[in-house]
Amino acid sequence: MTATSAVQSGAVITRERGHLIRASVLTRRVMGTAARRVVGARSGLAVIGLFYLLVTAVLGSLWLTAANANGGSIAGYSTVAIVWYIATTESGTISVPMRLIEDIGLDISSGQVAAEMQRPVSVLWMRVLTEVGTCLPRLLLCLSVGTVFALAVVGAPPDATTLPLAAISIVLAVTLNLIAQHLFAGAAFWLSDAKSTWFLYQKLVFILGGMLLPIEVLPDGLEAVARFLPFVAMAYAPARLASGHFEPWLVALQLGWIVLAAAGATWLYRRGERRIMRVG
Amino acid sequence: MAGERAIEVNSLRRDFVVGRRSKRRDVVAVDGISFDVGAGERLAFIGPNGAGKSTSIKMLTGILHPTSGAATVLGIVPWTDRRALTRRIGTLFGQRSQLWSELVPRSSLRMLGAIYGLDDAGLERRIDELAELFEARELFEQPVRTLSLGQRMRCELAACMLHQPELLFLDEPTIGLDLTGKQRFRELLVHLNTELGTTVFLTSHDVADIEHVADRAIVVNHGSIVNDASVAEMRSGLLGRKRIEVGLAEAAGVVGGLVTTLFDSFGEDIDVVERSAGMLSIDVNTGRRPIREVLDHLLGAVAVVDLSVVDPPLEQVIGEIYERPQ
Repeated sequence: MTATSAVQSGAVITRERGHLIRASVLTRRVMGTAARRVVGARSGLAVIGLFYLLVTAVLGSLWLTAANANGGSIAGYSTVAIVWYIATTESGTISVPMRLIEDIGLDISSGQVAAEMQRPVSVLWMRVLTEVGTCLPRLLLCLSVGTVFALAVVGAPPDATTLPLAAISIVLAVTLNLIAQHLFAGAAFWLSDAKSTWFLYQKLVFILGGMLLPIEVLPDGLEAVARFLPFVAMAYAPARLASGHFEPWLVALQLGWIVLAAAGATWLYRRGERRIMRVG
Repeated sequence: MAGERAIEVNSLRRDFVVGRRSKRRDVVAVDGISFDVGAGERLAFIGPNGAGKSTSIKMLTGILHPTSGAATVLGIVPWTDRRALTRRIGTLFGQRSQLWSELVPRSSLRMLGAIYGLDDAGLERRIDELAELFEARELFEQPVRTLSLGQRMRCELAACMLHQPELLFLDEPTIGLDLTGKQRFRELLVHLNTELGTTVFLTSHDVADIEHVADRAIVVNHGSIVNDASVAEMRSGLLGRKRIEVGLAEAAGVVGGLVTTLFDSFGEDIDVVERSAGMLSIDVNTGRRPIREVLDHLLGAVAVVDLSVVDPPLEQVIGEIYERPQ
């Protein structure tokens, strides 16, 4: 390597490191600001906490009764495991805004997204970071309430050693859910209305994602299909881990879906932004 | 900076396709406009609704491709290098907020600082400078939702100035503000321009914004530029009109008779814009009738206690420009 090229590559490395530092500062700042906004609105947090408790109590009781009636287990989940499953999966899904797709669609059609294009950062990634920051305090609250609920109803989790992996998995689940909602909402660049996609998306997460019921409960064919879809990585994966199943491949699966969804959303938003620039 | 051009626009045109299938047709939103804006200038870009103002701003800020024509903003072609341009311009749209209502402005400013790549120390210094400049030190520490609209708009303007843009695009920035809020906001804009040399590109339907902020106004209508002149020129000579305001010593009955004799003598060369018991206000078309003739007639006909000759209000001038046949 010549002195010049060494200097040049050094400059490139410095510049790249500069970009990385800037990106990490931006990530921290955006997520932190969004999280502070949620923490500041205590009544909103309280409503989410109560709603979570209600849903978890109803579904938990339902599955507990079903497991007891089935001789103490259902689809391979013990009474303890099924309550921890429900408490975890509900945390991940309730902490994510229910109608985010609709909101994003409205922002695309109202020109808000166009206004955000007047900033020197990606519209998509600013929005995703903001939403992740918004969801983290909610997730923490739901998990806390869920832990207290599960401990009170069935006691300690079936296998505490899977919990660290479950904690990582639930953050990945929320992240994937948010990226995927942006991906689905991207249809509004062309359709000017993403309401229908929101309705479809929510039902897919509820049923094929394993939010209402573990996917093992589904008929064999449907379970096989569900395992090939990204929705299991949003609801089923962390709940499966928290219910005492040490299956690290689930985290790998989540990472894979995150990469795919991120690539898809990036591609879609680039095309969408180009469409805004072309069509107005 | 003198003599440099902040914006150069050449035959810029934008068509939109509207309607579906057989009813599909092209609508011209901006029809080949050309103009320059000097660095440090304060330009009002005005026109009635649907005139093409917003479409022009969208093209100049890089979020809309033109159908044809060329433009550079600070030497950058906006629609090909939008990201680079965003670092050098500020945009403020009266109905869109950059600040999060649940948080204090300082928090939003810190986040915006990270977006524009300002380092922590530099950012805090910059926020303090802006607090000083906008006399907003206390406002920066109050949740945005508790601020009045005028206070919020001051903070919004501060947010726009965070990355020290060379050019500010403002679209209806004073909409909804009360009289004091508008006045304060206009003073800030002029201050930013004179102290920091920031070029101002302003659209507004409020004529007072134009009068108090801009030193030049471009009027657009039906996608074309129908007038491009300094605000002073627009006010004084453009339409060749002057307004005579007369205070009368005599009783109310005199005014009716005076108006009749004025119309008999000058016909369509004058226009009575206001009349009351002791006062008469007349616009004179000075292009067709020397103002002195009307003044002589007035002074000869009635006892005048007060008299002034002024330019007609800018609002009227602009209204007449809008109504000109295309």
